[in-house]
Amino acid sequence: MKCVIEGSNVKVFGKAIHALSRISDEMWLDPLEKGLAVRSVGPAHSSYGCFLFTRLFFQLYSLNISSPQAALGRCKLPVKSVLPLFRCSASIERSVDSCKISTGLSDTQVTFQLFCKHGITKTYNLGFQEHDVLQAVFPAHLCPNVLKAQPSLLGDMVIHFPASQEEVTLSVCPKRVTMRNYCEERDQIKVMSTEMSLHPEEFDYFHVGVDSDITFCLKELRGLLSFAESHGLPVYVHFGHPGQPVRFSVENMVLEASVVLATQTDSESEVSVQPGGSEDPAAPSVCLSVERSQSWSPCMPPSVCTGGGVESRPQDAPPTAPPEEQVPSSQGSPVLSRPGNLEYFGLHVATDSGAHAAEPESADPATFRLHSLLFGAVSSPWPNEGDVLHTSLACASDTEEDNMEERSSATPMPIY
Amino acid sequence: MPLSTQSDQGDGQYVLVASLDNVRNLSNILKAIAFKDHALFNATPNGLKVTVEDSKCLQANAFIQSEIFQEFTIQEDSVSFQVNLTVLLDCLTIFGGSTVPGVTTALRLCYNGYGYPLKLFLEEGGVVTVCKINTQEPEEPIDFEFCSTNVTNKVILQSDSLREAFSELDMTSEVLQITMSPSQPYFRLSTFGNSGNAHYDYPKDSDMMELFQCTKTQTNRSVTHFFLINKGRFFCHQSSNYNHNHLHGFNSTVIPLSRYKMSLLKPSTKALALSCKVSVRTDSQGFLSLQYLVRNDDGQICFVEYYCCPDEDVEEE
Repeated sequence: MKCVIEGSNVKVFGKAIHALSRISDEMWLDPLEKGLAVRSVGPAHSSYGCFLFTRLFFQLYSLNISSPQAALGRCKLPVKSVLPLFRCSASIERSVDSCKISTGLSDTQVTFQLFCKHGITKTYNLGFQEHDVLQAVFPAHLCPNVLKAQPSLLGDMVIHFPASQEEVTLSVCPKRVTMRNYCEERDQIKVMSTEMSLHPEEFDYFHVGVDSDITFCLKELRGLLSFAESHGLPVYVHFGHPGQPVRFSVENMVLEASVVLATQTDSESEVSVQPGGSEDPAAPSVCLSVERSQSWSPCMPPSVCTGGGVESRPQDAPPTAPPEEQVPSSQGSPVLSRPGNLEYFGLHVATDSGAHAAEPESADPATFRLHSLLFGAVSSPWPNEGDVLHTSLACASDTEEDNMEERSSATPMPIY
Repeated sequence: MPLSTQSDQGDGQYVLVASLDNVRNLSNILKAIAFKDHALFNATPNGLKVTVEDSKCLQANAFIQSEIFQEFTIQEDSVSFQVNLTVLLDCLTIFGGSTVPGVTTALRLCYNGYGYPLKLFLEEGGVVTVCKINTQEPEEPIDFEFCSTNVTNKVILQSDSLREAFSELDMTSEVLQITMSPSQPYFRLSTFGNSGNAHYDYPKDSDMMELFQCTKTQTNRSVTHFFLINKGRFFCHQSSNYNHNHLHGFNSTVIPLSRYKMSLLKPSTKALALSCKVSVRTDSQGFLSLQYLVRNDDGQICFVEYYCCPDEDVEEE
């Protein structure tokens, strides 16, 4: 594959690389018939970013499709090899006339050439590893919730969260959209809480099929948001129930970009999820989800779990056991705090000292057991994942009912 | 304004007296070569030459001509001493580094001769500081024997573009290869780092290029030569250390190679940052000379030069 990016598009390409660098240390160049896809997959496969540059983006785009795969020039590169080439976008704008990317000519190297002012040419021959390209399969058309917002709207929302804020919770209901920072309950006293609400009218498009609170990693999203802001592209948000991945995407005539992030599952679905992946078709285990390392399933000896954050339940949820603490919700819906959850499931919270002894470092997201993003590798070993995904999405509402039955019959757990 | 002499000896006792209304005209230049603690000062009626060396492979010289000084009096033909450059710079900048318009620090530098400390009088806004720095035995600087007649290739570039190139160099590369050739790629900086290799090419007609004199090709250690003999049959030959000028008749393509340790060249970026033009020269031994034209605060010209030995660890490609 050989392509030439001209003028201001070089800066766009550079910004895309910057956005992908927030997701992972590695990126894939995947030359396709319709354009060049640049992808990145986060650690533990909990996030995925893809920028597809269509042929219109390039001054020249030549792909030898009759060649064997290797010559197409798919490659995996460390982001830190490519990022320095596009490090300073201001100077790129000033000095770079065009950028030429050639892959497939060498088994071990991909060549980036920057043609700059004053006749200066910068040539970079970067080593790469050939790799099957991963691609996340995300059926956006099946998502019950769709939002479209101007990039400045989302940018203005996230700017209120400190750069160190890892995760945020986005809650939607027909009346409002709320974003707040997510933190473990034991940290809540020490941490500054930030919450803001938006009226549906502030969105260009607002469709909420199911009330939902999704918690995802904000850091990985910031790259795409700043890309969208710098190009003035509206951002689409597709999501569903907690546990199902959320997709943020932008597009224009010459490119499409999307970031798919895992969201934390809420407590109901945790009950039905067996450790290590479930065979239960009702469980949303094939979706992108973050599962706590201690499962709440009856089969597992429970260590005391710090569980998820404060969540508002959907309006149609059954009444829960009266919680010991009730945290008022701005949405007015009943709220469970974690101790309440544990009580409800028959688990007793051990004393503080005991709790800390038994409690693993569960607050650290890195210890959460993650189910993989629904990945379709180019040569996928799982032929029917699309079907399974459909099944799980369709079953989501059923899953709740199943869980409710299970819950009522849960036996009290011994404390370890 | 000139300082009144406050020394315990009369001016006549000093072998060297140099005064500056603005000490920055000296300190800025010295900062450009301050990669080692010790520096050799050599004063002649022409001016002051300060030399810093590193492991016998790198030498930096700063030249401040006598015309730059408001007063420059020397009693001997050549006065040399060695001082701790870090300490000297700390003294020269003792009033702080910030530039307030209209306010400058004045300097009077006095040296009594062999065995005596270097005396500095610094004054700003009526406040005077006196510094005495011990001097050491001057060591003989390395003579790289780099003279114009040995120069094979010479290029003069505007510093701006070279600054950008140096700031983007892949620091994971141990060496910087400088290729100068009468044919493509004319002037090329190459690095060989962890991610791969990178090349910066400047064409000879670039408007950043003020002078391009590469008339001879040059080999330098372990170079592979390709000869085209009899319609496409290649003969490959390896050699080192002799000129292949005569092979031009055989359509040889000899790429001149010069590799230098990146760690040695790194300090030169300070001089590059101050300069407006830089000349890059290599000689028949592969030694590199970088000469920087620096304009000081008053617009006067000073020179800084770096000499660097070629990298001895070059491996066959």
